[in-house]
Parts: sequence; C-alpha cells; structure tokens
Amino acid sequence: MDKKILLVDDEEGIRKVLSISLSDIGYQVFTAENGEDALKIFHTENPPIVLTDIKMPVMDGIELLRKIKDENPDTEVIMISGHGDMDLAIKSLKYQAIDFVTKPINDDILEIALGRAHEKILMRQKLREYTENLEALVQEKSAQLLEVERQVAVGQAVEGLTSMLRNLAGDLEGGLTYFNELPCFVSIHNPKLEIVAVNQLYKERLGDKVGSSSWEVYQGKTGTPSRCPSAVTFKTGKGQRTKANIKYAGGQEAPVIVHTAPIRNQASEVELVVEISADITEVKRLQEELHQTQQRYQQLFDEVPCYISLQDRQFRLLATNRQFNDDFDVELGAHCYEVYKHRDEPCPNCPVAKTFEDGRLHQTEMVVTPKSGEQHNVLIWTAPIRNAAGEITRVMEMSTDITQIRQLQDHLSSLGLKISSISHGIKSLLAGLDGGIYLVESGLAKEDSERVKEGWDAVKTIVDRIRKLVLNILFFAKERELKREPTDVLNFAYDVAASIESKIKAEGIVLECDFADALGEVKMDAGVVRLALINILENALDACVEDTAKKSHKIVFSVKPDDKKIVFEIRDDGTGMDRETRESLFTLFFSSKGNKGTGLGLFIANKVIEQHGGKIKLDSKPNRGTNFKINIPNNIQAKNVI
Amino acid sequence: MPKKILIIDDDPVIVKYLKAVFSDNGYATCSAGSSMEGLEVVKKEKPDLICLDIQMPDEWGPRFYRKLRKDKEVKDIPIIVVSGIDGDHAVKDAVAFVKKPFDPEKLIGIVKNTIG
Repeated sequence: MDKKILLVDDEEGIRKVLSISLSDIGYQVFTAENGEDALKIFHTENPPIVLTDIKMPVMDGIELLRKIKDENPDTEVIMISGHGDMDLAIKSLKYQAIDFVTKPINDDILEIALGRAHEKILMRQKLREYTENLEALVQEKSAQLLEVERQVAVGQAVEGLTSMLRNLAGDLEGGLTYFNELPCFVSIHNPKLEIVAVNQLYKERLGDKVGSSSWEVYQGKTGTPSRCPSAVTFKTGKGQRTKANIKYAGGQEAPVIVHTAPIRNQASEVELVVEISADITEVKRLQEELHQTQQRYQQLFDEVPCYISLQDRQFRLLATNRQFNDDFDVELGAHCYEVYKHRDEPCPNCPVAKTFEDGRLHQTEMVVTPKSGEQHNVLIWTAPIRNAAGEITRVMEMSTDITQIRQLQDHLSSLGLKISSISHGIKSLLAGLDGGIYLVESGLAKEDSERVKEGWDAVKTIVDRIRKLVLNILFFAKERELKREPTDVLNFAYDVAASIESKIKAEGIVLECDFADALGEVKMDAGVVRLALINILENALDACVEDTAKKSHKIVFSVKPDDKKIVFEIRDDGTGMDRETRESLFTLFFSSKGNKGTGLGLFIANKVIEQHGGKIKLDSKPNRGTNFKINIPNNIQAKNVI
Repeated sequence: MPKKILIIDDDPVIVKYLKAVFSDNGYATCSAGSSMEGLEVVKKEKPDLICLDIQMPDEWGPRFYRKLRKDKEVKDIPIIVVSGIDGDHAVKDAVAFVKKPFDPEKLIGIVKNTIG
C-alpha cells in the first residue's frame, strides 16, 4: 500500500512532533501549514491519507476536506480537532472525513484512526474489483451478441452463394463440382416439384431423393405440396428464406434454415429452384446458451444487494434492478437525480457524468431518499459500457447501502469523543473537590466560618455536578426499555415542580406553575420523563443565573392538554440562544457551559421524549429568553377524559 | 507590595480555590471567568503572573495567549497553565503546565520560583 501521508497544521510544533511519530510508523510524510499549500502538495503527491487540523488561516480544514473529497473521493481525511471545536469535528464527519483525533494527539488513537482509513481504502478496493467482475460479465454478454451477428452474416453469405449458384446454373458441368462440396444440403427442383439433383451431403444425410417430391423431407406445414420452399419460389418467382424442420434418413429431426433461389430460362420463366438448407442445431444451441447467460445476468442484476441502474448521457434510467424498483419509485426514462434525490437538476460531483467523460470507474458517497422517506448513505460506483466501436453509450451505476456502517462509525466516533470529554470533566471535578476541601480545612484552621461555609458550598456544588455526570453516563451507556405506566399528569407536574423549586428559589428566581385541571392520565415512564423535564428546567435556571443584564427573573412551568397530547411548557427570560446554539442544542456533547456542562443533558432529554413518541419544540432569542414546548401523546386519553 | 496573580478559569469553584491558595501564601489575586474578560483584567490590573485554564467556553485559552503575546505592554507576563487537558503545544512559553487535579504546594512552589 502507498504509505504517503499529508499532514496539515498551522502550528509548527504539531507538524514536527506528528511527522516524527508518523515516520516511525512507516509513513512518508509531507507537511503543509495551511489548506492552500496542502492542496498543491496533494496535487503533486496524491497521498491516500490526509491528516488535517480544522482551524487554520487561509484555508481551513473543513474547506480543504471538501476540496479533497471533491477531487479525489478515495482520499481518506482524518481531522485534528481542538477541544473547542467538537461541533466542527462532527460536521467534518458529515463531509466524509473518516475520523477525527483530538488535541493533544495520543499516538494510539492516531494509529486507530489511520488503521480505520486503511481499512476503508482496502474495502473500497475490494468492492471495485467486484464491480470490475460485473463489467467483465457485461463484456462476455456483448461477445455472445457478436456471435449471433456472425450467424446472421453466415446466412447472408449463403444467400450470396445462392446468387452465385444462379450464375453457375448456366454451366451445369462446372456447377456440379462446387455443388458436391458445399457444407449444406443443396437440391434442385423442377416446376413439377420433383427433386432433380442433390449434393453429396444431402445424399449422405437425407438419402438420394432424386425423383422424390420437393416437400418430402420437411416436417409440419412446410412438408406440404403448397407450402414447401420450392413451391413458394415457383409461385412467387422470388427467393425464399425460411425456417423448417427436416427429417434425416436415420429418422431424427433437425431444424434448418432454407434458402431458395429461382433459376430462370431465357424467357425469364422460373425453370428450376435451388434449395440450400443449413442445419441450425448449432445456431440454436448457441442461442440457448446466450439466453441462459442473459438470464443469469438478469438474475445477478436483480439479486445483488445493491441498487443497479443503466443510464444514458442525460442520466435517464434505462434499466434498474429489482432492489432499485423495490425501494424507489422508478419510472424508466426518468432522470436518476429525480428518482434518487428528488432534485430538479443533476447532482454536483455526479460519478456517471465523470465516467461518460473519461471512461474510467468512479465512485462517490451520497445521501439518497427512497420511498420510505428514510435517508440512506450509499457508496456509488460507475462503470462505462461501450458499443462495438468502443464508444461509451451507457454507464452502469451501482450503489451499496452503507447507512449502517456510517451509523456505527458515528456512534464509535461519538463514543471516543465522550470518553475524552468525560475524562476531562472528571479531572476538573476532582480539582474542584480539592478546592472545596482546601477551603474547609484552611477555614477550620483559621476559625474563619465564612471560608468554611464557602468551601462547603463548593463541595456541595461539585458533588451535585458529579451526581449529574454519573447519572447521565449511566443513562447514556444503557439503552433502557421504557416502563410505561398510567401516570396522573397533574400529580406528576407538582412532583417535578417540587423537586426543582428550592433550587430555583435559592437563586432568587421565581417559579410560576400554571397547571390545567383536567389533565387526566398518560401512559409514560414517569421516572425518565421527570429527569428530562428537570434537565430542561435546570437549563432554564442556568440561563437566568447567567443573565446578569436583568434584575429579576421568572421561570414559567405550565401543563395543558392539547387535542391528543399533553403539552409541558418551560419558559424563561434568561440569556436565550443564537441560531447556531439552537440548532446544535440536542446533539451529543454539545455544551455552551464549558466545564459546567457535560453535553449530555438535553441530548438525553430529547431522546426520552422521542421514545415516548413526543417532540421538543424550541423558541429562543438572544437576551430575550427561551421557550421549550414538550409534547407527549396522550395515548390513553379515551379512557380518562369525560 | 504583594505580587499579583490573575486567575483565568470559567469554573467559579476553581477560581475560589486558587484565590484562597494564593492569598494564603501572601499573594494578591484578581480573576476572570473568560478569556475576553481576562484580556481586560490584564490591562487594568497588570498582574505579575497569569494562571490560565486552556479549555473555556466561547474562546480557547491558547487564543487568549496569542492575543496577549501580541500586546507589547503585557506580553512578558509569565503564564502557568492549569488545565484538565494534558496539552503542552498550545502555549509555547508557559512557565509550567499543571494538570488538574493539582497539588497546591507544588503550584505555590512554581509560583515562588517564578515571581518570588
């Protein structure tokens, strides 16, 4: 394997240290200090793996990633991310980075990432070999078709021969010489439909039929006085070409192609008819074989667990396999991009277009939307299909669903991220605990009760954070089944309010509860929903505490029935959020709170509500506050209301 | 006049802790909860030493460090990095890297060696 690697980072120190580690593992390392330089090196060296920092001047890592993936999707890019840019790192996965490693770079983790990149390159090679096999099959099929064309050509040659014979008929002596050597059954018939001459092969296989009726050797309809080839030729005056079955002297039957040619006298009357028959058993056998190959090909086409389509230069679908038809609304002749991606125009980076252009295999990864509406990640390969003149007339496109691989990869990446984020969190918590203990101890020694209290408060805060972190980790680690039980919503709401009220009041913030009366019962896992709501309430509290611009704050917690659902609403007038924060709020490990947040809370809250078939809606503006609406379907409403 | 130490950390518990440790050893302290605030406090208080956390919300400690080093007036103030991350390439000329959780006596030892 090509062991070249391109390392891009704006910090010289990192470049130096990493170059050493990478050379030790056996790489030939090229370095660049920004995306632009990196691209230049990429063009000349074409390394299979690129390791790049995200935040750099001139051209940043994400931009570089996109350019590289655009130019050569086979290149695997590993991102180096700082602790501050986790969301960028996650974003880079969407742009098809294979993995990312966080600073400071641990050599083992880097090796795992490199291993993963190599594995993907290897996997892609294997799949490409597979595609090439398919192509070979297509070529084989084309060869078979050529064979058939050759058969037709033979037929034409026989026709040519007939006309030659017609010319030779005038000179019967010379004609007969050729006559006996022909590899076909040749016979000459007179207007009375009697055989007047046959060649050697005819005699051997069919018997010496001179003097017999013209139709005798034929089976079926052709074997009648009015329909036999000679009769038709005498009647129409034109040469015939027809298929028939003949009976050999031994009794067995065989299919033949019969050519006839009229031989005219000087008055232009048809005097004789030459009949030439060729045994087409061989042709038939070949046709049968071709048919079988076609069927096998069709079967393969239909059964492979991929989407396969044949497209022309306008990206119209000319043929699609069964899997494709099952998962997409396929209309032959429709454009690939309409069916696959519901787009109005061809996709940028279309591999089919590239294959038409350069005749080579191309591949890319795309997200497509089947009938089910669920998006799928697919790996797409394209291969050219050429006509006899070597021109590319069609492109075959094959896509493999790699959604599960992607999901697994994302999961693994976020797991790695989680471990690094948690280990950092725990170190900070330990330092905080030390701080609390130090304050208590030194306060006791100095008999400074104010300091003791301060220290004890710190200890309590840290213990609280530890509890939250541990609970969140436990929750995240376990995919738990919901224990749904009928729950009285009003009691539940009071219970949630009671468990957070003192904490809110301690910060001098008002908690206003507004619960409707007829809430009835809802079937839900009260324990986890309670955790989710408290999580959101705590976020509201944090947002108020952080907002020092306003003098007083209020959190409103309301519960109302709405059609077939129960709506919990938590409104605060704290700091609010900008758009970016809003959009990444429910993603794993997103935290706007630095050391104070684990980035797990709202991710879990969202998961819990979704598990209940509900939804969290969010409305927020910077400095104006935030409004969370949590809907939970009231699935046992009929029994309880009215 | 006692030497002054600026503590930059977004965790108020850590700030309280470091303040107590430093003041118990005869240093004056000031603090900032973010790197932006940190830059303002540096200019106003002119501390003799900065105690910096390298992971904070909004902005990274290293970026604070770069900005600080560009400012002629304050560019020579020594920095001790106190952080849960074990990274040392981010702040090139830091006096020391102290990993959380840390031993307060060792920290004080480093401070004394640096500014007396």
